[in-house]
Amino acid sequence: MGVCAIKKFLGSLILTGLCILLQGCGLVYDAVELIHPLTRDELSSICSRARLRVGISVEPFRPFVFPAVYTDEGIRVTGLDIELIREVADALTTHCGGSTPIVPTLHVTRFPDLFIKMNEGQLDLFVSSVSGTIPGTRPSGLWFSPPYFHGDGVAAIIQKPEVAERVWQQFHKQNGKGDTLAAVQEGFAGLTVAVQKGRSSHLYAKANLKRIRMVICDSLPASIETKDPNIDVILTNHSILEYVTKRVWQNWRLLTQIDGTPLLLTQEDLSIVTSDDHRQLQWFLNNLLLRLEESGRLKHMRRRWVEAEYAPTRRATNEGLPLEVTHVPQHYDQGQCRLAEGQ
Amino acid sequence: MFRNIMIKGNAVWQRGNEKAKMFMIVPLKALRLIGLILSLLCPQIGWTQDSHKEIEQTAQLLTTFLNVGRVVIERNQSLINDPGKGDKGFTPEVFERQVLDEFFHQTGIDLKHPPSSLPSLAKELLATLLLASKDVVRDAQFVINQRGIGYKNFVPATFGSQAARKFSNRSHVTIKQTTVNPRNLKNTPDAYEERVLKRLATQPTSTTPIVEWIDDGRLLRTLMPIYYSEDCLACHGNPKGILDISGYPREGAQVGELAGAISIQIPSDQR
Repeated sequence: MGVCAIKKFLGSLILTGLCILLQGCGLVYDAVELIHPLTRDELSSICSRARLRVGISVEPFRPFVFPAVYTDEGIRVTGLDIELIREVADALTTHCGGSTPIVPTLHVTRFPDLFIKMNEGQLDLFVSSVSGTIPGTRPSGLWFSPPYFHGDGVAAIIQKPEVAERVWQQFHKQNGKGDTLAAVQEGFAGLTVAVQKGRSSHLYAKANLKRIRMVICDSLPASIETKDPNIDVILTNHSILEYVTKRVWQNWRLLTQIDGTPLLLTQEDLSIVTSDDHRQLQWFLNNLLLRLEESGRLKHMRRRWVEAEYAPTRRATNEGLPLEVTHVPQHYDQGQCRLAEGQ
Repeated sequence: MFRNIMIKGNAVWQRGNEKAKMFMIVPLKALRLIGLILSLLCPQIGWTQDSHKEIEQTAQLLTTFLNVGRVVIERNQSLINDPGKGDKGFTPEVFERQVLDEFFHQTGIDLKHPPSSLPSLAKELLATLLLASKDVVRDAQFVINQRGIGYKNFVPATFGSQAARKFSNRSHVTIKQTTVNPRNLKNTPDAYEERVLKRLATQPTSTTPIVEWIDDGRLLRTLMPIYYSEDCLACHGNPKGILDISGYPREGAQVGELAGAISIQIPSDQR
């Protein structure tokens, strides 16, 4: 009888203990995590692997990302976005103690896939002249940094002067009211307008230009090349169009205001994108971009890539970054253009 | 007395003869020993001479092979730079076929069925260089097959730099492209190369490489001169100083002028 009572007492004691422990497991784990994190944050992971996995768009957006070229050192890519990636990697090297350099590994992928790869955790961040200020460009789960490039926006290029005249006529009718959207909506009505899939030009046209024949292209070069149908207007970022009309496709010209000043259809700032969960990395980028802004470094980068005269190939040789060959498509095809659904 | 004299004389002769014998026998023994050593050494000297010849032949073939790779890239330049085409079909296998054909054309050596007379060192190193060259073409596929982009900087010089580097990392042999005023500082000539390049620049055009053993025969140095052809002048010709498509100032070169050399270093203890 006595032994049985002791057994019962011990059994209930163990049971009670287990109940308390199992219920409190989460709390205990949280407490330990608070004092000494059991899982590494993303910055520590970057430091320990000494690699920064950066996504860039395979579709070149000069002068942010130039087409990859072959140099004496192998394949290299260059551009304003690449210089920014170097800055981030250098700052990370310092953050991680400086003994091992943090090497940026470029994952070259199609623009829409950057968002997927980011969400799947294959990238630490991506930089591809992406805007976080255009409605519809911020998918859930992603964080957009403060801008590294200000004052950009969707602009248009044309070949036929009559397209410009149509838009200017609308401005004249407004008697100095300066309603760009109304002028463009009227001026572009009935025209064939090419946009790049998923980029801000696409979102802008979809939302605002209901009377155009919208052609969706896989890339800007595809918009330029396509002949069926004939394209009247191509929309994309002003900084890109300014560069390519001067140096690459000189038979296209920027659509301007009547006085020749740039005609921007939207206002856009370009951001670095990372996961919404990467809080440490977000703060790191936030502080770094502020420092780069304050020191005038961002302004200098802008001058170097947008305004200065230079040969991208030489810059690629001297300061370009290598591509992670295992992460590039077998061969880059600039893709096709097709009429938007319902047109 | 005469006899005495004779005996004396004989004795003297005999003593002299013994002395002479002694003087003769010692050097003879020494000579025999030297002869034995020499006879043992002779095949070694012969082997060293053969080995040096094999290394020299290997060096010449390697420089020719790298240059053939450059020639094949140059021949395919308009295809590589065609912005209208995506997949160019210029695969490592296509490159290999063209290189082997051109190498056969230039040397009479069919590397698909290497002749038995080809030194084993040459066989081994040429195979390594072929693999390195194919790897360069393989690595460059992404760049070569970009559609909508013309100039991609995949040119004989960039191909040669990478192929030479990959090969040098995989063997004890060092190959590099060099010139007096290189665009790529890694191609800067060392003191020996600079001396030879300056000498070559003053001499008439020649396809014969400069072959020289230095460091008491421990290191072979070979420089094969490369001359500017018409195709090179788009980037290296006139107007001098004006930037070419890749952003480097043109050299103002003329057809037939010395462009540089393929430099090779092979240590004698290759075996």
